[in-house]
Amino acid sequence: MSFFGFDTSLPKDRGHNPKAPGFSLAPDPFAGLSSRTGGGEKEVLDFEDTYDGLGDQLDETGDAFNDDTFGEEPVGKDFDFSGQTSKISGTMQEEQAFFDARQPPPKMSPQKLAAKPVRSGYEGYKQADYIPSLEVNASLWGMPSKAKSPDLSASHRQQSSGPSVQIGRKMMSLEEVEAAMRSQSQKPAAVQQSAAQHLPPPSQPISQAFPQGLSLPGYPTFSAPSPQVDTTQQRASGGPQMLQRPTKASDQQVLPHNGAQGVQAQTPQILQRPSQSQAQPPTLTPGPQASSNRASPQSIQILQNPNRVPGPAAVQPPQVAEGVGGMAPTGPTHGRGLSGQVPIVTRPEQLLGLSEDERAAFLLEDARRAKRNHKIYLLSKDNGLMTPQDKNFITRIQLQQLVTATGNVIDEHGPEAALNEDFYYQVHAQIRGPPRQNPHQPLSQFAQTYLFQTGGRPGNANRRHPRGGENHVQRMEQQVQRAVEAAKLKPKNKQLVIEGSLGKISFSNAKTPKPLLNIKRPESRDLRSQSGTHVPTRSNDSVATRRQTLKDIERLYMTLMAMEDHERRMPPPPNEETPADLIQEHIEWRQKMQELNQSLWNDLKVMEPIDPNSPIGHPFMAILSLPKGKKVIPRVFRHIDDQQRITILTMICLYLDQLDVVRLAAPADPNDTTATLPPPAVRDSVELFSQAVMPSLFGYVNDAPLQIVVGLLGLLLDRVNTALILRTKVGLAILTMLVSRAELIKQATSAQSTQGINEREWQQWNALYNQLFDKAEPVLPYIFPPSTNHPSDADDVHVWQFLAAMAVGANEDQQRRLVVAVKDCVNDTVEQSKALPPEIAGRRLGNVNLFMRAIGLDVDLLQR
Amino acid sequence: MADADNDAAPTVQEPLDLVRLSLDEIVFVKLRGDRELKGRLHAYDSHCNLVLGDVEETIYTYDEDEEEEQQDVRIMKKQSEMLFVRGDSVVLISPQPSS
Repeated sequence: MSFFGFDTSLPKDRGHNPKAPGFSLAPDPFAGLSSRTGGGEKEVLDFEDTYDGLGDQLDETGDAFNDDTFGEEPVGKDFDFSGQTSKISGTMQEEQAFFDARQPPPKMSPQKLAAKPVRSGYEGYKQADYIPSLEVNASLWGMPSKAKSPDLSASHRQQSSGPSVQIGRKMMSLEEVEAAMRSQSQKPAAVQQSAAQHLPPPSQPISQAFPQGLSLPGYPTFSAPSPQVDTTQQRASGGPQMLQRPTKASDQQVLPHNGAQGVQAQTPQILQRPSQSQAQPPTLTPGPQASSNRASPQSIQILQNPNRVPGPAAVQPPQVAEGVGGMAPTGPTHGRGLSGQVPIVTRPEQLLGLSEDERAAFLLEDARRAKRNHKIYLLSKDNGLMTPQDKNFITRIQLQQLVTATGNVIDEHGPEAALNEDFYYQVHAQIRGPPRQNPHQPLSQFAQTYLFQTGGRPGNANRRHPRGGENHVQRMEQQVQRAVEAAKLKPKNKQLVIEGSLGKISFSNAKTPKPLLNIKRPESRDLRSQSGTHVPTRSNDSVATRRQTLKDIERLYMTLMAMEDHERRMPPPPNEETPADLIQEHIEWRQKMQELNQSLWNDLKVMEPIDPNSPIGHPFMAILSLPKGKKVIPRVFRHIDDQQRITILTMICLYLDQLDVVRLAAPADPNDTTATLPPPAVRDSVELFSQAVMPSLFGYVNDAPLQIVVGLLGLLLDRVNTALILRTKVGLAILTMLVSRAELIKQATSAQSTQGINEREWQQWNALYNQLFDKAEPVLPYIFPPSTNHPSDADDVHVWQFLAAMAVGANEDQQRRLVVAVKDCVNDTVEQSKALPPEIAGRRLGNVNLFMRAIGLDVDLLQR
Repeated sequence: MADADNDAAPTVQEPLDLVRLSLDEIVFVKLRGDRELKGRLHAYDSHCNLVLGDVEETIYTYDEDEEEEQQDVRIMKKQSEMLFVRGDSVVLISPQPSS
């Protein structure tokens, strides 16, 4: 059976053979084996020669010889590898036994060995090979017997039982293997002994029969050439393998993933490894020692034990000695006849033929090979566990996880959301995908990718296809491709808004962390102006209105600064020689300035509608109520035109009683005649207002025509509680400003003797003045700030200024009434000043004198 | 009063812009080391370095009595006309509604 299998597989195997030497990791023992066996069936040399092209012939010849060997018994070709192997194992063991027995006579093997390697493609190690191979063989074949108990009488049994046991067990774990190695290392001596004693009897007949067996001669050939340790291993494993899988014998090593059968095929290897590995080391040491044919094998064995396992060595020496002792008698008698030890016997001869250096080098190389093979073996222990389909499947699963974290969601949003959370996918995308540009594509791409990922599921298109390995590979490739594409197409922008969904998916990385809050900034201006107009409605929320006022002021400042900055960049004023582009520049500059002016004007909120319910009243008044609002006025005045200034002035007059400096400074009860000093904060703001705002207003009013003064005074008297504002410093100052301006205009016009130019205006003014005088006269005694407590720093200059202004414009009757009204105050001040230090007294008297001089008097008159 | 005000940047863009609203206003500043300041904010920068005017500094010191387990909080007040406050000690800045 097995041989038929071999023969049929030959062509295939040969196909592999040429490659085998090229494999660095796994020199293909099967290839060598198959080729050798094929050749061995008839003529080794010839087969090697016809190696490439003549597989058919070889088959035929092989068949013929097989018939000779096994007789005509019909052989079924339906091999049941898993089931029948156990039955077959017996046959295999026999064959192995045959093989052992048939190990070539010492002289014969060297020749074959020498010839073999050259043709088998192992040219690289041809010369050096045969010796070690022989040695290895010896140990190898000894090993299985070691595994068996020595009391087994027949070497056939020993050998056969070893493999059968091995085959019976499918796999050995690493621990098992190691244990086996250890146990073997301890036993070798006994094993050797047993081999030496027990093997000879059976081996003799076999060796005699050897010439007959056509198939058997192959064994020595392939065993002999096997230069590497592998071959020994292979041979042992190969025996069963060849029987089991005639066609695939060579494939298994090279393509371990061929299928489940591979697993079986490999188990023998695994089992054999230990023995082989054990056998190898001795080869290193014994080389030099091997002096005689007989002694050398034993010495090797002896050496082997201590070398292998230093620990148990103590126990072993007796065994070794025993072995040696046992050997001594048998050695001479059976020396040649030992079929199992044929390689051992032959080796020394060949070794002898070599120089010491060569031998050492060779042994070194051999050891290296053994090491490497062991490594390979360890690595390839699990080879063939999975079929290619299995592997592809696993790969696909892994790939799926790369592509998406959630394997089962099919809806279109799921995978993407999951992807964003999947670290590994992100990394994958980072590695694979260049920055993704297209934000609109990804959805479909992802969905597609995703849908295809679920290919294994029912209903998928791929389901139709047979689950061939190719199909798997194709699908995998497709998946990779899709994954890469999807990664490429993944949007680079920070957010991904999926159609029809309410939420957004934000991508994040280290540089741009995922924003947890996504607050849309209001369209600044629109909303702001809106809120500006709506501020009053939130009248109860004083904090909010205050905040709004602060914002208004800030905006005002920003506009103002932009304006000042722009002013600094004013191009030179154009004249006739200015080139056109400069003129154009200037025009643009003016336009820009105009825009800024407009926005400044808007920011001032002078023209905002008035909400009577607002606690702070008009927004402009709110701005003026804050210190920085007051401070901004002089700067603003520089940039606005006269029309805007008069508007501001009008607004201030109109809402003078709302102005904080008036409202807070005025007594709560208009009828309360007791002079109360406003709180310090108010006084500060009043002071600030006087210093910041008033000069601007003065500056404008000083140039204003009478018409405007009349209008402003009319507004004041009409809309504002004059009695109240008279008792505030700011109110008094504004009144003074207006009245004095009117007097100045009057004096100017009278000086120009153009009186009567505008008689109607003067009539208006006089009427207003009289009205003011009438309103002011009752409160004149109370307009003085309370200075009784601190006469020294009484701040009453503005009162005297007002009185002076009024006095200038008053007629004689009014002057008299003025004097009557303030006479007490004048006298008090004069009296107080006498007790004051001279300089303060002088200042206060000077203030009083403002008024006194206005009515044609002087304080000095009173003091005398 | 139409548009033409596009170039005026929005007032509040970042947290510090809220501090900007308190410029030239009375602010309450809490500092590390149990100190508090109250004064008019003249200037600030991105490090919260502050320049305050008319500052009242309040320092809280805790005297622990081992025997009696009560804590005595001593409050010390200082008045400064102008202060530069290094920003790394600023814990909070709060607008202080003036009277």
